[in-house]
Amino acid sequence: MMPISHFLLLFVGAALINNILLTRFIGLCPFFGISNNMGTALGMSAAVVFVMMMASTTTWLVWKFLLFPLQLGEFLYIPAFILIIAALVQFVEMYVKKYSPALYRAMGIYLPLITTNCAVLAAATEVAKPGFFKMAMPYGYTLGEALVYALGVSVGFGFALLTFTALRERLDIAPVPRFLKGSPMSFITAGLLSLAYVGLAGWFGL
Amino acid sequence: MMKEWLRVFKAGLSIDNPLTVLMIGLCATLAVSSQVEGSLFMGFAVIFVLGMSNALIAALRKVIPSQVRIPIFIVIIASFVTVVDLFMKAFFPPIYAVLGIWIPLIVVNCIILGRAEAFAYHNTVWLSIADGLGMGAGFSLVLVGLAFIREFFGAGKIEFMGATVLRMPEGYAAPTILMMFPGAFILFGFVVAIVRALSNRSTARKAA
Repeated sequence: MMPISHFLLLFVGAALINNILLTRFIGLCPFFGISNNMGTALGMSAAVVFVMMMASTTTWLVWKFLLFPLQLGEFLYIPAFILIIAALVQFVEMYVKKYSPALYRAMGIYLPLITTNCAVLAAATEVAKPGFFKMAMPYGYTLGEALVYALGVSVGFGFALLTFTALRERLDIAPVPRFLKGSPMSFITAGLLSLAYVGLAGWFGL
Repeated sequence: MMKEWLRVFKAGLSIDNPLTVLMIGLCATLAVSSQVEGSLFMGFAVIFVLGMSNALIAALRKVIPSQVRIPIFIVIIASFVTVVDLFMKAFFPPIYAVLGIWIPLIVVNCIILGRAEAFAYHNTVWLSIADGLGMGAGFSLVLVGLAFIREFFGAGKIEFMGATVLRMPEGYAAPTILMMFPGAFILFGFVVAIVRALSNRSTARKAA
């Protein structure tokens, strides 16, 4: 039995210290795409947490019991993982459409876009394929670790997205030089936010 | 025919540039652009995948039913990405180690799926190849440009295939922030601002 601190460190490391958006640049499309409205950003974050947990668990199982024993992993992992994610997103979309039409309308085009959210594929690949990311344990993750890691990554994603959305809502009424108005200013804001996360590097030796 | 081909090709480089104008596919750009060498390989990989997937999707556009087109596009793209993945792993292992997760992530690069959906699914094979190559070249141009600025000014030298190609004069204090993640965001913000200002000026001149 692993000590609880091990899982806690894994979570903090994935969520804050190696934040997927601001220190690894994965998943920037929704980060810039839907960060102009707090409600949508919240919905997107929730959807990403859900999809990422499901996707990571599924890819972990598929790798462990299907691709690896059949020695197909090296050749098939990209199509296999992306198809798993695409199917899951379709499932979430149908569910949300049926049970929460308001949320469905709010998320609009961005729900299907989770399929092409690099963050989901990145997390799913990292937990499933041992030794893929230098952060990952060389022996690979256990299922419990994979779940905690995916939770950490997606919570970190949501946290950064919501922080940035709040900043951008303020930015709309701030006096910005005309030269930088709009998207350039968003990038610079993201840069400063990322600077704050760089300050966390090295905590707990992560 | 050739003229139309060139027009489509050039659009990817300038007015429809995926990075500075459409602003899609940013993740890979910002992450990979800390080194010229890695960026060049990334650029080639994207040009290859984009050109091939555009061509194949355009060739099959009449038989792909529109309800299931997205999964089909993704499978086609994933196959070409697997080709690149295995090729780089076999022949350029040091570069594969640097690019790491970014090679499989080409699958979810918005540029490729975006062009499949917006262009290749409605156009001929010939024009789709032009679009793929143009978009890929536009992507690579900005990527390598950014990488050049970041590596040359941020590290003070450019390394290529293990040799130092270009070096700042002795005593240059490199601002390391350019090599780090925040620097990429800030630099890209300024690049977008400059590109936008230039294109605004040229449209204003055309209108006058």
